[in-house]
Amino acid sequence: MNDIASAKVLEYKGNTLRFTPENPAEATIPADELHEHLQKPSTARTKRLKERCRWKHASAGEFIEKSVTAGIERMRYLTEAHKASEGQPEAIRRALGLANVLNKSTLVLQEDEFIVGYHAEDPNMFPLYPELSHMAVQDYLRSDYSPQPADEAAAINEYWKPHSLQSKCQPYFDPADLGRMYQVSSMEAPSFASGYNSIVPPYETVLEDGLLARIKLAEKHIAEAQADMSTFPWDGTKGLDNIAKIDNWKAMVIACKAVISWARRQGRLCKIVAENFETDPKRQAELLEIADICQRIPAEPCKGLKDAMQAKFFTFLICHAIERYASGYAQKEDTLLWPYYKASVVDKKFQPMSHMDAVELVEMERLKISEHGAGKSRAYREIFPGSNDLFILTVGGTNAKGEDACNDMTDAILEAAKRIRTAEPSIVFRYSKKNRDKTLRWVFECIRDGLGYPSIKHDEIGTEQMKEYAKFSLNGNGATDEEAHNWVNVLCMSPGIHGRRKTQKTRSEGGGSIFPAKLLEITLNDGYDWSYADMQLGPKTGDLSSLKTFEDVWEAFREQYQYAINLCISTKDVSRYFEQRFLQMPFVSAIDDGCMELGMDACALSEQPNGWHNPITTIVAANSLVAIKKLVFEDKKYTLEQLSQALKANWEGFEEMRVDFKRAPKWGNDDDYADSIITRFYEEIIGGEMRKITNYSGGPVMPTGQAVGLYMEVGSRTGPTPDGRFGGEAADDGGISPYMGTDKKGPTAVLRSVSKVQKNQKGNLLNQRLSVPIMRSKHGFEIWNSYMKTWHDLNIDHVQFNVVSTDEMRAAQREPEKHHDLIVRVSGYSARFVDIPTYGQNTIIARQEQDFSASDLEFLNVEL
Amino acid sequence: METTTCKQCTNFFPVPPGADDYEAGKADCVRQKEDEKGKYWLSKPVFENSTHCEAYCAKR
Repeated sequence: MNDIASAKVLEYKGNTLRFTPENPAEATIPADELHEHLQKPSTARTKRLKERCRWKHASAGEFIEKSVTAGIERMRYLTEAHKASEGQPEAIRRALGLANVLNKSTLVLQEDEFIVGYHAEDPNMFPLYPELSHMAVQDYLRSDYSPQPADEAAAINEYWKPHSLQSKCQPYFDPADLGRMYQVSSMEAPSFASGYNSIVPPYETVLEDGLLARIKLAEKHIAEAQADMSTFPWDGTKGLDNIAKIDNWKAMVIACKAVISWARRQGRLCKIVAENFETDPKRQAELLEIADICQRIPAEPCKGLKDAMQAKFFTFLICHAIERYASGYAQKEDTLLWPYYKASVVDKKFQPMSHMDAVELVEMERLKISEHGAGKSRAYREIFPGSNDLFILTVGGTNAKGEDACNDMTDAILEAAKRIRTAEPSIVFRYSKKNRDKTLRWVFECIRDGLGYPSIKHDEIGTEQMKEYAKFSLNGNGATDEEAHNWVNVLCMSPGIHGRRKTQKTRSEGGGSIFPAKLLEITLNDGYDWSYADMQLGPKTGDLSSLKTFEDVWEAFREQYQYAINLCISTKDVSRYFEQRFLQMPFVSAIDDGCMELGMDACALSEQPNGWHNPITTIVAANSLVAIKKLVFEDKKYTLEQLSQALKANWEGFEEMRVDFKRAPKWGNDDDYADSIITRFYEEIIGGEMRKITNYSGGPVMPTGQAVGLYMEVGSRTGPTPDGRFGGEAADDGGISPYMGTDKKGPTAVLRSVSKVQKNQKGNLLNQRLSVPIMRSKHGFEIWNSYMKTWHDLNIDHVQFNVVSTDEMRAAQREPEKHHDLIVRVSGYSARFVDIPTYGQNTIIARQEQDFSASDLEFLNVEL
Repeated sequence: METTTCKQCTNFFPVPPGADDYEAGKADCVRQKEDEKGKYWLSKPVFENSTHCEAYCAKR
């Protein structure tokens, strides 16, 4: 057994480097138990809250904790309102539906918690969304997680079948095309069938204005619109526009009033518990303080950090779980909370507290998110193994003036993450060379401790991207150059605007996946999927005899890709067409300045285009193309027919041939032969063809390569590939990451390969596994810091790190009960290692662990 | 047999006049629960004349 102090000795620039641990106490810790020593909750309360956290992680599609089930209240009260409001304007029906849910649902308050609020009738439950996809709900009805009473739940789902988004969208597509999408092997199923969604809520208006002010604004607009309709002379070409606007503003008023009332009910619950159930005077006083906060917040503007944290959490619940389901935790949390941190911690003007009190608040927030339940479909539970949903917040970067945006709130967020050690929410750090060292040190410590986050995004690339998309704004109100600095990751990887307006409201703007490895597989079979679905999965692009040159293969792939990506984006835009007519979001609209000003629904208004789609398994396809070009068309060692024969035998009986294909040049080694083909593949087809498409918002669609857990799921549905991979094996773990174990020339060779792809990309995930002894050594921070500067100068979009030893992951496989705190980066998210199925665990162990040689350190120009 | 109503229950806490959701006879039914993860409280809107609740607990 190794311990973490057993690192190598390196000769570098005439010196002998010894990688002894930065913390001497770690010298005797065995490598397979390191993470048992790293958890340090800041208070006894957060330690207790973590011990009793109601995790809702799923593994292989099943909830890990047995008490987790779907609740019925949201679907019951939404349906009740929908039936009662027939004939009223649809936006108002949606507002009445939200109000009925909020007014009648059971509230939850848990022991010890300070941030309150939940979205189902029991803390072990989560809500369902039959108005989105009846198919997704049907799956729950057949499972152990079915809402009760089951008969009522089934009747509700039956009611929604004709009214659901799924039913409204499906008739506009050829059933054969939909059948291909439902295979989820070359394309993700359309969002109208899965019900999956994501959003960047405009939290700022809630915290800064309060909802009472939003109500006043809407009422003012209604009065003005009604006055306009009475103005002489009537102009029907303009006057009629007021009707939809008035309906939207009325819906906003209903929604905001319902949210205020719901929050105050929550406060009343705290007061009742304080006065009737709680015996500890300290907790009684705390519950009365929470009651006071909920009476004021989110009705009024926030004045201190406790206010802001509570208002943010209420807004999150409405936007992500009650008005509509949406994955994610997108926000620029340090910027958002800084004014309130300043008021409470620095100026002590309201809710005075210390920096460590702020850290405790963030730890409590992380635990609330950790026990949040998402009623998403089985497919999505399967593709995020080890998590309950995707929760990702953003910190760091630069502000509107282009200055360092890091502040003490940034540090509190990072310190809390390091201390409490939860997989959720994940954090993105916008890296700029302007960022202060103090904060970079916290970023490093989180990574070094093995959390897998913050993942790092290039600040300037994201900012420039916002400026570029702004040029396509349909109403000429895209992000200004100053606002372009206000970006966060919309979900795992894709930058989008945050703030009071111009944010993403629905996943039709971005999201959804396409799977190039499967597309290459069917390209070699005239569009037919022989290995999984046994059906024609794409257009007929020619049998093998017609593919006489590498360019023929290339063009046949291009045609398969064009067909698939066109279908993917059109299904998203059709979803959006119906969302703004039947799935309006009056609350989200009320808190967006643009929707408020224009009287538009959030699904309809697009000011800042931000189209993206997610290619997953690109490197398996790209490495395969390299091998085909070399071995078939250049070396002529094999024919395409022989290759096809070997693939259909899953290489059985063709081992020598498989080894040849396996040994063909691979991505991530700074190999010019492979990299030139693969760069062209990314820029000309993956990005180039996608960019030709125009989405609902009028802008181009660009690739955001990230894999979540789909590299496992889709890998299992993809037959053997010409990169030497067996059928069913996992694909590459994301974006632009080298395939597991094939990047053998060191970490800087990976950076050099990746830096060659510069055109037509929105984002590309780069997973790197770094040596634990080096990162925890006294030289760790300097090496990482130099790595980051080099990464930045190479203009690479993204990087994220696993700093977890194979010893510890193997130990966790043997004795999972001892390793609940072992967290790993899967793809765009982190997960508790023990909650991931063995198949997935093995893909993480198989990733190349990058050590740093003297030549790597020289390339990084590290001063040690 | 005598019919019991929410108003007679120990979990019945009338909504105070002036609250956003105030209605005559409306209350919060607040119940303490406990499972292996700990204690928690649930609050559900009820009306004073509602009957047939399995969690009914007479006021002393």
